[in-house]
Amino acid sequence: MVETVVKINQLQKKFGKVEALKNITFNVYKGEVFGFIGPNGAGKSTTIRTLLGILRASGGSATIFGQDVWHDAVAIHSRLAYVPGDVYLWPNLTGGEVIDLFLKLNHQEHSDKTDELIEQFELDPTKKSRTYSKGNRQKVALIAAFSTDADLYIFDEPTSGLDPLNEEIFQKRVLELKQAGKSILLSSHILSEVERMCDRIGIIRQGEIIETGSLEEMRHLTRTVIQVQTKDSLSDIAQLEGVHDVKTDTAKQNKVSFAVDSDQIGIVMEVLATKVILSLQSTPPTLEDLFLRYYNNDSQEVNDNAQ
Amino acid sequence: MHNSDFSQAGFLTRFYLRRDWLKIVFWLIGLVGLMGAAAGKFDGLYGTKSAMNSIVTTLKTPAMVAMFGPFTANPPYNSALIFATEMMVFMGLFMAMMNIYFAVKSTRAEEDSGILELVRAHCVGKYAPLLAATIELLIINLITGVLETLSLIAANMTGADNTGSLIFGLGLAAVGFMFGGFTLLMAQLSDNSRGATMLSYLILALLFLVRMMTDVSNPDYTWWSPFGWIEKLSVYDENIWWPVFAMLGVAILTVGVAFYAYARRDVTAGLLATRPGRTRASALLAGPFTLIFRLERTSFIVWMIGMFVLGASYGSIFSTVGDIMKTNPMMAKLMGGSAVDAANQTVILNFAALLSIVFVVLSTVPAMQTVLKLNTDERKGWLEQIHAKSISRLHLYCSYVAVALITGTLGLLLGILGMYTAGQSVMDAPIPLDRFLRAFYGFLPAQLVTIGISALLMGVVPRIQAISWIVPIYGFISLYLGGLLDLPKWATHLTPYGWVNKVPLRAVQWNLTWELVLIAVVLFVLGFIFYKRRDMVEN
Repeated sequence: MVETVVKINQLQKKFGKVEALKNITFNVYKGEVFGFIGPNGAGKSTTIRTLLGILRASGGSATIFGQDVWHDAVAIHSRLAYVPGDVYLWPNLTGGEVIDLFLKLNHQEHSDKTDELIEQFELDPTKKSRTYSKGNRQKVALIAAFSTDADLYIFDEPTSGLDPLNEEIFQKRVLELKQAGKSILLSSHILSEVERMCDRIGIIRQGEIIETGSLEEMRHLTRTVIQVQTKDSLSDIAQLEGVHDVKTDTAKQNKVSFAVDSDQIGIVMEVLATKVILSLQSTPPTLEDLFLRYYNNDSQEVNDNAQ
Repeated sequence: MHNSDFSQAGFLTRFYLRRDWLKIVFWLIGLVGLMGAAAGKFDGLYGTKSAMNSIVTTLKTPAMVAMFGPFTANPPYNSALIFATEMMVFMGLFMAMMNIYFAVKSTRAEEDSGILELVRAHCVGKYAPLLAATIELLIINLITGVLETLSLIAANMTGADNTGSLIFGLGLAAVGFMFGGFTLLMAQLSDNSRGATMLSYLILALLFLVRMMTDVSNPDYTWWSPFGWIEKLSVYDENIWWPVFAMLGVAILTVGVAFYAYARRDVTAGLLATRPGRTRASALLAGPFTLIFRLERTSFIVWMIGMFVLGASYGSIFSTVGDIMKTNPMMAKLMGGSAVDAANQTVILNFAALLSIVFVVLSTVPAMQTVLKLNTDERKGWLEQIHAKSISRLHLYCSYVAVALITGTLGLLLGILGMYTAGQSVMDAPIPLDRFLRAFYGFLPAQLVTIGISALLMGVVPRIQAISWIVPIYGFISLYLGGLLDLPKWATHLTPYGWVNKVPLRAVQWNLTWELVLIAVVLFVLGFIFYKRRDMVEN
């Protein structure tokens, strides 16, 4: 049995009458990278801030290392490193000073690893924070977090200001942490990043977790796009159960593309086989497809409600 | 004006006024209300000839000249003349403070928050934001001045004439706008709003002290300080207009320099450049407490030196203040040598009691600021990462409160020590330090309670925590002016400062001291309980 590091059960948070979090339930296990995705304003940061004990939950429970996130915040935080999405630093301290301060606040020291990270991210630590750009401020927080020896790392959209080179360094460092058996909670907008790094994913929409699981599991819930050319006519393919969006290629005979529900693939394949397949290409849904599907449902509902 | 450097200035001015209207209204109510209420009360206060003569004698003592400026009018006296002397310097100070506040708010603060960058990216002229800030200040001052004039006319004091009331109001508007101009310039020098505010207050303090020193030694030299020019208006006496234009002239000149400086720098940069700093944190920077000290370092040093210099400036006039031979030679002759010394000391200690109120209120300011920063720093996002570390809220709260208490305590002590040290060097019959320290022991607990109130408000009502400022501001007005306005006892008892007796003239009331300390402790504990139980303020 894998150890559960973060355990969130029906977490709720109200700001006055506004329900920011309605029902958040998910776990993060030891040694995994958990991706936390959802549109702007869905409640990602609110969930993370509640996990950090900055906000007080209105209902449900949340524990990290088996301890309550509100009452035992200090004990939890000594084993945790966090990088917020918007990093704000004291304008009259230098980046170097801030990194050291963050380490000391967790009773840790500036190490060779810290210097290595400063070099790798190409940060000038002698500059005052007020002169840093968004990306540089983010680097300061990332360097401090990566050189902290912790058991759980929480990143809230950590690469939104980084250039592609630094983003790659970030991804490499996260995978290193994972190999060392650390747990990582990564909230992100960059779906390719999540797809590449995360073992499991949670999708949040309007304060509710609507889907959790590995990317593989999620793909089963959605459709695969198939492009096929056959010898026999494909005119009846649209009538099959689970087949959607059939598009006929006007230039070539008997060439169509369509989307098929994952649980119907077998039956559809059998039908296709009888028609003598000339070429076939199947594209599994990307996370973006998944995300857009949920997102579109979302706006659909909003539209419906508006009417 | 579509393509000019000033395009959209009018729109921005309207926008600034709309953004600030509530704050403007509060300042207006405060300033005009103070002026009108005091004016309405004056005829009743000094209605009789003997009351009039005694207050004129008091106002002519060096101590009162130091606080309020010289009383220069010739008899026959009337309440309007007394009012003009008592209120001019005092109102001038508040006008300057209002202008520093709004000038920083519309310029450097907009740059700090990044809003100016957004505004400048639109089809807005290069100088439009600064011009809009200037026009906003002009409008605010003009409205304040006119309303003050109207309130004076409405109060209809004996001896008041409409010309005098008009000069009074417009003179205050002019001095206010002049300080607005100084602040606009400081906002170009410093590259952050705190620095700009601090520099502006340093100018105000400097000009105020020059005014005080020259008033006491020789009022002719008061011309050296532009702040002293408001005294030269000679309201209700000679009604001199031209200091109004002199102040406007200085204002226009300073604003011109500010525009020149603004054109020669980048957005978000200051003319005083930020230098590179340390690669590694010093061993001293290791936790919330040292962090806050490190962040407040410059402001802390400036406050401490400022308090000492302020105390010393007042102390340096003790020989003049405590010279009843000069102010009342008849009485001095009757009393004889040692009795004169004793009487002189009483006068000085009375003066010191009044000054202690100034010191305690001023030293409360940085302390209260630090306590309230627990929320304002939070809103800036600076504490988000601290919360994610193994730092408890108690630890964080105690760190801010500790820095606040150290700042407040040391500030008060340095003010009193400055006064003692300078007084010592000029007095013929020096007063021992122990005697002056009575003011410290007496007023410190009241300061603790005031800071405790702000801690409680910070914990309970973070969004409107700024109402804490009412306590020291009202305390200052009610006690500084209270004696002259003959305020009822309950009115001066509304702030903790008002509960303290006349230390260092009288002995410290130790019972009250301990009671106040206890109240302060309770307030700090309550503040923490509320702070601990709530969400952190979101930005």
